[in-house]
Amino acid sequence: MFSSSQFDATSAFSGGGFMPSQSTQLTDSTPSPAKSRNSLGVVPVTVKQISQASQSGDEKSSFVINGVDVTNVTVVGMVFDKAEKSTDVSFLIDDGTGRIGCRRWVTENFDKLEMEAVQDGMYVRVIGHLRVFQDVKQLVAFSVRPVTNFDEITFHFIDCIHSHLQNPKLQGGASTHPHMVESSMNTPVQNGQTITSNLMSKQFDVDGLRDCDQLVLDRLQQSSSIGQEKGMHMDELCQQLKLPMEKIRESIRSLEDEGLIYSTIDEFHYKAT
Amino acid sequence: MDTSKPAIFVNGALLPMHVRKRVRTVIQVVGADRGAIVGKSPDDLQLVVKGSPPSAPLSNFVEVIGIADSEKSIQAEIWTNFGEVFDTHSYNQLCQLANGEYQHLFL
Repeated sequence: MFSSSQFDATSAFSGGGFMPSQSTQLTDSTPSPAKSRNSLGVVPVTVKQISQASQSGDEKSSFVINGVDVTNVTVVGMVFDKAEKSTDVSFLIDDGTGRIGCRRWVTENFDKLEMEAVQDGMYVRVIGHLRVFQDVKQLVAFSVRPVTNFDEITFHFIDCIHSHLQNPKLQGGASTHPHMVESSMNTPVQNGQTITSNLMSKQFDVDGLRDCDQLVLDRLQQSSSIGQEKGMHMDELCQQLKLPMEKIRESIRSLEDEGLIYSTIDEFHYKAT
Repeated sequence: MDTSKPAIFVNGALLPMHVRKRVRTVIQVVGADRGAIVGKSPDDLQLVVKGSPPSAPLSNFVEVIGIADSEKSIQAEIWTNFGEVFDTHSYNQLCQLANGEYQHLFL
């Protein structure tokens, strides 16, 4: 979202003297041979997790959180002790699990304007690099955005848990999907249902799609039995079953292939045979 | 970097486990009673929040951070208006996860 459209790598880094290495690119570029697919882009974390992070090997710019290399993180918390200087703005972020110092280099007008909107006591979402300066971990922020919809706070912490669960180590070396992780974390969720559905989808991964297919089929059979001629719209299934749309689509595809359901008035309405 | 003063996510059912500790929750304001604010916790239990609310009027949902001084009340240090609409169901589930098997990410 805001990462690709608003972030200009060269100007943000040139003022602070940090050279963007391949691993710190936000967008999912091909990882360099030295870095495994563990570099996940922007990772949602709590300050507590940052405090437990260790530095990864010889790469000073990279940290390891739960066994995964992490450089870019996002934190949501309250601003304290904002101090504006000519070249940078520093502040503390307190997310309820701890406090960490942040610094935003102010070289472009955009940076200055964005930081002017940030006040003490405000909830913000910070995206930045983890750095160590004089033995103290710090966040060098390149995006600081005030939170306007407070469901974002709930979302962020659930996202931290979700990201933690996506950890390849926890999955016993099974390949994770960095794209999936990135896309789910940058979108503040308006509707509470989406958050719980992301969590719920974890349960279905173990048994494959079959549980999901069964749920969709049951629901469609139910709707037929109460006389719904046109069947159900995919959105309705998504809302009622509280499952992510991709899972609903996959289930519909496999059920259709099996000949158990068919589309009715358009490609979004389905009915059980 | 300082993780010595965390604020634990609580709902009405979890608050008794954290008396005298620093907690945070979001209440739906129901009314005022003898100088304290009475509200509904994310799991629909009644909570009393003492302390001095900010001068600005409170919105429907308010986050309070402070010390739990009894099983049903919090002495709030920080009050933040969370607006008229808030997803208490998800917040409630977050409280349970943050106190349960994912506690190590928070405390």
